[in-house]
Amino acid sequence: MRNDGLKVTDVNRTFKVEQREVPALRGVSLDCEPGSFTALIGPSGCGKSTLLRIIAGLDRPDGGAVSIGGAAPIEKCREGALGVAFQDAALLPWRTVRDNIALPLQVLGRSVRNHAARIEELIELVGLQGFADARPGQLSGGMRQRAAIARTLVTDPSVLLLDEPFGALDQILRRSMNLELQRIWLNSRPTTVLVTHGIDEALFLADRIVVMQRNPGRIACIVEVPFKRPRRAELFAAPEFHRLEDEVAEHLFGAAAA
Amino acid sequence: MKHAARVLVRVGLLLLVWEICGDLRLIADGALPSPSAILLQWWQDRGVYPLHIAATAWPASIGFLLGNGIAISAALAFVLVPALERLMRGFNIAVFAIPPIAIGPVLVITLPGVWPQITLAAISVYFPTMVMTLLGLRDVDPRPIAVIRSYGGGDLAVLRWLRLRSCLPGLLGGLRVAAPAAILGSILAEFGSGSRWGLGSFLLGSLGRGNPARIWGIGLTATALAALAYALCAVLARRYTQAATHVTIAAGIALESRRRARWHRLLDLALSFGALAMPFLIWWAVLAGSGVSPVIARTPLAVWTYLTSGPAAAEARDTILQALAQSLPWAGIGLLIALAVALSMAVLGILWRGVTTALLPVSLVLQTMPLVALTPIVVLLFGRGIATTLVVTVAVTFFPAFITIAQGLSQVPKPALDLLDIYGASGIQKLRFVSLPASVPHVCAAARLVAPAALLGVMIAEWLATGYGLGNLLNEARGELDYGMIWAVAFVAIAISVGFYQIVRLIETRLFERFQLASGA
Repeated sequence: MRNDGLKVTDVNRTFKVEQREVPALRGVSLDCEPGSFTALIGPSGCGKSTLLRIIAGLDRPDGGAVSIGGAAPIEKCREGALGVAFQDAALLPWRTVRDNIALPLQVLGRSVRNHAARIEELIELVGLQGFADARPGQLSGGMRQRAAIARTLVTDPSVLLLDEPFGALDQILRRSMNLELQRIWLNSRPTTVLVTHGIDEALFLADRIVVMQRNPGRIACIVEVPFKRPRRAELFAAPEFHRLEDEVAEHLFGAAAA
Repeated sequence: MKHAARVLVRVGLLLLVWEICGDLRLIADGALPSPSAILLQWWQDRGVYPLHIAATAWPASIGFLLGNGIAISAALAFVLVPALERLMRGFNIAVFAIPPIAIGPVLVITLPGVWPQITLAAISVYFPTMVMTLLGLRDVDPRPIAVIRSYGGGDLAVLRWLRLRSCLPGLLGGLRVAAPAAILGSILAEFGSGSRWGLGSFLLGSLGRGNPARIWGIGLTATALAALAYALCAVLARRYTQAATHVTIAAGIALESRRRARWHRLLDLALSFGALAMPFLIWWAVLAGSGVSPVIARTPLAVWTYLTSGPAAAEARDTILQALAQSLPWAGIGLLIALAVALSMAVLGILWRGVTTALLPVSLVLQTMPLVALTPIVVLLFGRGIATTLVVTVAVTFFPAFITIAQGLSQVPKPALDLLDIYGASGIQKLRFVSLPASVPHVCAAARLVAPAALLGVMIAEWLATGYGLGNLLNEARGELDYGMIWAVAFVAIAISVGFYQIVRLIETRLFERFQLASGA
């Protein structure tokens, strides 16, 4: 089941707000190769989070279909094939870091004891050694987000869905988390979709960037990112990095101004 | 430490003044006995107190367990099947609004042995626990829900991993409010039960004996028992949560389904009708199942016949209407005074923080004091007239109202007040622009919360002291074994309580729609 591909076909989604119909997504199609890293970027209201929720099976499209490794998202959810991280760490405040990481196993009805070693490994992977028994309230924002990422990895997901996982962190912390996410991702290379506001974050992490526009939410264009992995921190300062950054910005703002 | 010493000195001074007033018979011609006299009397009665306390506390504990078991199961069922909650809403509101004293005699004539006490204790704890648990179960962080759903977890998984744990603070808060209520319920069911033991029986038997010290002793013992029950639950709650203290229950918000649009209109109509019919259906079903003679156990239809077309219907109606005309104005006036004073105190507390810090702890303690224990003391001090009715009513409604409003006002977002500070606003301006408008939902919530207590207060005062109105009618009907009248009074009292609840709810909804207010707790 490792590294399923991801296929979004002609997805439509409309919300009703005060009797008015607001088209959140119209005719969105996207094909993600197994083991690829795709970033979704766009102005707020372009439906990128809605698209991610639909892929995760948390929301249903009004039209169109999503398939993960040939199956419906709901089925994949029940196999534990999905790992989802949100902007907020969404940790249970009464559980320790270790117990929070174990939650997906419990929901799936798997033995936590058999995965005890794996959980310790993950705690180390995200750099939370010594905090396994701490509760979320005792951790900083960055540490909570690391715990959340360890939680998404505990089922060895073939698809990783990240909804602005570092959106609430400051710029400096965000950079170091980007480096760590790449390191963690290279470990097992799950098919990943990342929703983000940061062009630099998208460029640094993704194989390609999907630029979305709003009214209605749709895909405007796709920018390929050619940089070799593993990417280093110096890349943020490289001229070709800036050139691509400008290109994405043009797609984003140029279209918005028009 | 300094603070504790100061408090001790103050309490000591107060006791000293009390002792002098009591020994010199300064207040109400000896109606206020001195602490030493009360203690002395208590010591003389020490042989019977354990029996009385056991006779009250034992059924109260069983009722507490039973009522809470039902309340927690109901909350779980309501959160899993929202339609069920809609269907039971009428029943829930009725249980909330029941003045316990009104159905005490009904229980006494239909149930054997200590069951009236157990049942009334169970009824008294059902609502606070159910509402607080339901609130806790519903009010969960939506983000972890998404996490659980993304692993294919359904409603049961969300319940198991998230809701059950996150409802604990609410549940424990509910238990804390419920514990003294169980004691009160148990005591009220002793009224007219003819049983020899129990603090309520002891109190009733001592009323005419002209021994204020004993009445004070019983009242203080009952208060201590209720406070102990409260403290036990508080300790339990402290252990499992660091949550802020829930001292009053959030009546009503859990009874409102916010996703009304989701229901199909026809289903909505059916559910509303069902909610209206359900209390009567349950009433009927319980009686039918109990096998008690229909002469004693009156079904809804029998009560209706008694009041409309029975042989003495006109006379019964007149008697009840007359009693209502005597009781309701005082319940209303008492309620208004209590709300007005509570609002003023809470608002003053914003200008001078000392008001709140002084009043809040006192309110917390007095809130747990069983009404019945309070009434005879008020009678001793104020006589057997209107003043007693009014004092009892205000006393039982003021404290919960004050706590509700004060805590509501303390939730006013600080930035709103900071904003006014930036422009150099005076205290009055802060009141006018922020605090008073913000208090509206909480005043409504307080009115809903304490209205049944106002009716209960009036009826207890009438039963024990003044000798007229609805409470007296109930007492007389019980004495004469006039089963029809006992049921009719109980029904009328509950109907009025529910009616008042609905009226406040309606006003609230209008206010909220007009001013886009968030529902108060």
